[in-house]
Amino acid sequence: MSAGAAEVTRRAFLGALAAAGVGYAAWPRKPRGREGVPAGRVVIEYWEKWTGIEGEALQAVVDRFNAMQDRIWVRRTAVSEILSKALVAIGGGDPPDVVGLFSFSVPQFAETRAAWPMEELEADFDGGKGVGVGAIDRGAYAPAVLRLLSHGGKQWAGVSSMYNLALYYNRAMFRAKGLDPDRPPRTVGELDEMAARLEERGPDGRVRVAGFSPRLPEWWPYFWPVMFGGRLYDAEGDRAVLTDEATVAAYSWVQATARRVGVEDGRDFAASFSRSFHSPQDPFISGKAAMIVQGPWIANFIARYSPGLDYGAAPVPVAEGLYDPDQPRGMLEADVLMVPRGCRHPAEAYAFVRWMQSREAQEDLARRHGKGSPLREVSPGFRAGHPNRVVAVHDAITASPAVLVLPQTRAWQAYADLMNGMFDAVWRGADVRRALGDVERRAQGLLDQAARLRAKRGGAGGGA
Amino acid sequence: MSPGARDVLRGVAWISPWLVGFAVFTLGPAVLSAALSFCDYGLLDSAVWVGLDNYRELWGDPMFRVALRNTLVYASASAVLGAAVTLGVALLLERGLQGAALVRAIVFLPTLVPVVSACVCWMWLLNGRFGLVNQVLGWAGVEGPNWLGDARWAMGSLVVMSAWTIGGPVLVLGAAIRNVPRALYEAADLDGATGLRRFGAVTLPMVSPAVLFNGVMSVIWSLQVFGPPFIMTKGGPENATQVYAVYVYQNAFVYGRMGYACALAWVHVLATLVLTLGLLWVGKRVVYARGA
Repeated sequence: MSAGAAEVTRRAFLGALAAAGVGYAAWPRKPRGREGVPAGRVVIEYWEKWTGIEGEALQAVVDRFNAMQDRIWVRRTAVSEILSKALVAIGGGDPPDVVGLFSFSVPQFAETRAAWPMEELEADFDGGKGVGVGAIDRGAYAPAVLRLLSHGGKQWAGVSSMYNLALYYNRAMFRAKGLDPDRPPRTVGELDEMAARLEERGPDGRVRVAGFSPRLPEWWPYFWPVMFGGRLYDAEGDRAVLTDEATVAAYSWVQATARRVGVEDGRDFAASFSRSFHSPQDPFISGKAAMIVQGPWIANFIARYSPGLDYGAAPVPVAEGLYDPDQPRGMLEADVLMVPRGCRHPAEAYAFVRWMQSREAQEDLARRHGKGSPLREVSPGFRAGHPNRVVAVHDAITASPAVLVLPQTRAWQAYADLMNGMFDAVWRGADVRRALGDVERRAQGLLDQAARLRAKRGGAGGGA
Repeated sequence: MSPGARDVLRGVAWISPWLVGFAVFTLGPAVLSAALSFCDYGLLDSAVWVGLDNYRELWGDPMFRVALRNTLVYASASAVLGAAVTLGVALLLERGLQGAALVRAIVFLPTLVPVVSACVCWMWLLNGRFGLVNQVLGWAGVEGPNWLGDARWAMGSLVVMSAWTIGGPVLVLGAAIRNVPRALYEAADLDGATGLRRFGAVTLPMVSPAVLFNGVMSVIWSLQVFGPPFIMTKGGPENATQVYAVYVYQNAFVYGRMGYACALAWVHVLATLVLTLGLLWVGKRVVYARGA
């Protein structure tokens, strides 16, 4: 070091470093977990699956809850692969206070008693511990929705949003092909006929615009029996039901559709959009598919990426003889809110879940998500001001006596995965009855095994 | 206490942080998973002893056979392809051509790319309609298939993709090639050996221990493949890319069958062990040990 320059000895350097460390540690500040939280609030951790515009929509509803009272602060965290992470967190004894899962998670959490039943929370925490605490009004739910939330006679979850699938169609493309945009297909026969007219092929003979494809998207290979009167699962007998005539007819139709559009070409066309859904390249939003079976959330993405798209929606077409305008068919699924056992603040978590079941919160979130209400009755202005112009279609399906709910069994995830392989095989030309029989046998094995283990555990949580 | 014992104790004390970490984070969970493989356990509830039921179920589970077969196909194909590509690239890089250092860095680069980013890039490259691969094939008048959407091509596509991350093996093999004594090449030259003969008689035997090392590591890693099939194909189409590690994950964390997943995992460990020992046994007979 040059003469005259201030020398820093090792001791001085280490002393300064230690002083800086002590100063940092002793500096008064809030723990990270309390940053932005008003003083005196109980913070509850809420894990939810949604990100992007759907996450922002939920956050706005959470913000309302945080603003309307001064005792609880809900902190939402977006979590991917939420079921896996919830299983690990709960199994590890460090769960969030509220977790947003799927209606098919209810049986698993109920049978293992990993969540609090709402009845117990009401009994334990009713009585002025916070905001909106009181019993949940079960009569307010649409009947099918309450079935999704319940297992073994108890309600294990609140609903965060509910949805069913409908047929969305491009009205401008209908007009261009001489079809009546106010008369979407009602039967499977009409669907096939219109799909053939709407389909466009390029000079190479490959599909350029799909009329309709059960592979678009490839998310619900289990849905198609609904259109033919099939039911997948007999809850009373805990039986997989895949070889009934309705289900065989459904997958025979899938196979016939594959032959119509081309086995390879139809599959290639769908696969090319596998990562494009809910983006500007979404096949329906970008005009590459004239009709598509989708959930109500698509309206939000249309508004964002193609606000000028002239679209309509209708209940999914059904097999000949099943059409009844007063009883549209569909399958209900829901995103649910559960309070895991072992969480730190069950009372406050229940208060939040209870508030989320109110008409005010449900309609706010449903509107922001473009979805219908899971409640039996809606406010007079709900549909009029709804950003999804076809929400009434989804509401009608929810209220229909013919609506099915997603099979309520702990084995559903594995059952559904078996159907993915079966769908591909049927598309490729496999014997429909044999393919369905194979899945039915294996699915029944899963159901029987779940029942055996339930019995071994003493039937905890009740059966199906 | 003898000086030797004191040395051992001192050594153990120095590595004790690692020993504690190993016991808590590896050995303990391994023992626990072995115990859980004899139980029904779904993470959410207490474990119930079911004896050998989980292992018995394996033999009747068609998806277990599919996953095992696919994984073995993937591991063997990617190990062979990886070895060939690695050897070719390493030989080229060691020829002292201009720009070899830059190429070596480029070859190593994919190793640093996070697997999810790499998978998304490959999905676009292999997209049946808009992918670059099929665009290039189209210019040559060839209509490319739907690489990831067609059961006949999906596994092959994943295998080809696996050859993209050869940076580590190339470095190992490059070092081995550089260590081949010049005298051996000079002797071969005197004997009139050129080209392929020089490679077969000198280079390959001398680098065979490195080839074996790369092969064993490649097989072990390939048997554990998870990211690409999980992200790119979700095991489809028609279960063509359903691999073992994904099936273990699904059972443990999606279907809530941790006990069964533990049984699957232990069969996986045993299969990996048998294959590795088999490779080492074969290696002993074909590898030129003095090349090490």
